[in-house]
Amino acid sequence: MEPAMGMGLVALMGAAATVAGCSEDLESDIGSQSNPNSQVQLAAQVGYPHRIFNKAISGEPPSNAMYCAVGAGVAMMLLNSVSTSPLLAIAVGAFVAALLNGVFSTTAYMGRNASQTRFNQYVYLDVLRNHVLGIMGHAYVTTFCIVGLSYVMWNQNLIGHPFPFPVIAMIWGLAVGAIGSSTGDVHYGAEREFQDFKFGAGLNAADSGNITRYAEAGLRSSIDNAWFCSKFGGPVTGIAFGMTVFLDNWRSTAFQGWTAVVAGTIIVILIIIYNRYLELYARKNYGPYPEYSGDVEA
Amino acid sequence: MIDIITMLATHWISIIGIVIGGICIAVGVHFVPVGGAPAAMAQATGIGTGTVQLAAGSGLTGLLAAGYMYKTLSAAGAVGISEVILICATGAVGAMIMMTTTMIVGNWVYIYGVGVPPASAKVEYDPITKNSQAPYVAPGTVGQGMPTVCFVSGTIGGLLGGLGGSLVYCMLMWVNGDPAISSIFAIGVFLVNAVLPSYNIQGTIEGFHDPKFKRVPKAIVACFIASLLCGIIAVMIPGTAMFGGI
Repeated sequence: MEPAMGMGLVALMGAAATVAGCSEDLESDIGSQSNPNSQVQLAAQVGYPHRIFNKAISGEPPSNAMYCAVGAGVAMMLLNSVSTSPLLAIAVGAFVAALLNGVFSTTAYMGRNASQTRFNQYVYLDVLRNHVLGIMGHAYVTTFCIVGLSYVMWNQNLIGHPFPFPVIAMIWGLAVGAIGSSTGDVHYGAEREFQDFKFGAGLNAADSGNITRYAEAGLRSSIDNAWFCSKFGGPVTGIAFGMTVFLDNWRSTAFQGWTAVVAGTIIVILIIIYNRYLELYARKNYGPYPEYSGDVEA
Repeated sequence: MIDIITMLATHWISIIGIVIGGICIAVGVHFVPVGGAPAAMAQATGIGTGTVQLAAGSGLTGLLAAGYMYKTLSAAGAVGISEVILICATGAVGAMIMMTTTMIVGNWVYIYGVGVPPASAKVEYDPITKNSQAPYVAPGTVGQGMPTVCFVSGTIGGLLGGLGGSLVYCMLMWVNGDPAISSIFAIGVFLVNAVLPSYNIQGTIEGFHDPKFKRVPKAIVACFIASLLCGIIAVMIPGTAMFGGI
């Protein structure tokens, strides 16, 4: 493959990964999946019933790995059996994965809330109707982008990766779930869920379950949460996943053998130095907590 | 029965490689600073996700890079020990890139989105930078974000995870020569060796400076046994090439 073509494909994959990362995080925010959901689940039990969607089907990495593997499996079947165009096959594969997501979201919401009736937490059918399509839509975008970039990696005329198409999609699905769960979800869990509390600290253990239940007008829904997180948590998740896909593929496309390893190591060292700069910036600008009463000097 | 013994005798070096790879993964998991659900609410130091999930996410990203490198090198000739070292290095760097980008963006969210400075609650001073930690831990929490020591520890975790996963893949390719079966089985061996240490970690660990890190020897023993079993089964699985397939 020509170098220019290779770099173009890497850029395309990075762009698709950025969109996938962003939509994956927003999907988990609307559905309140992953770790912050522990507070949504706890809220009703400690006396704060709410209208937040609740669908911790599993951790984000395994669920996204499953959607992407299903999408790639359907796409591969269509490509091999009826010779569909790749774009259509990927679109149909992503649609099937989104349907699967819808089934899991519905059963998870109904099952979880039905089991909390004793805490006055009810199944709200309007919440179910309003949220499930938004969740499925975001899941479609995520699956479409990841199955698309996996197709570029797998196709023998393009990059020609030796792993089977669904396995590549499964691995990238696992990675996007792990990244979404580690980055964007913190914005939802530590900030949006507890906006009633003062900015500049994590959740005090004494306030566990006391999630923000009222919006600017009326009761807060998970669509409001996605609106808020789309300003920061979602885009940075996209940047994280896009950077992972782009940097990893760029170094192996632009360089060969040990040079690629050295280039990757330099990237890692630069990121470690940048993190140190960030840490110093935060310590200098935020300072120590005034409540601290120990004898360690700041 | 004789066939099985012959297979084991022929591929003993692959079994050893799988065991070494499994132990690398198990040790690597202990290095990754994970705070689990509390970290997602900035209530604990580390990355706000589960142990297995992040280790698998980074290690398998490295596996993708290693798989491609194996294909490139095998097209140029037989894959020997020196090529395996290069493939493992490629996988390790791929996993480190995934881990560092995740941690740096995680710190963006903690610093700019939540407004907290990264701080560890397990040590009073960062062992690498010597910066004080306790005054920067928010009241009612056990730390937040990834200070330098956690960041470096996580990078080492990514390195070991990617190295182990890639080594397992290379060993399986030596046995069956089939990327499909080797990749799936390498993912399986990876998950076995990522799940077992999570019983040691019990949800949260900050890295090599965490007292829980001293439990590593127990994980090595457990993962040695598990990887040995996986290795024995793995070398008995033939690839499609052995049946005359593609």
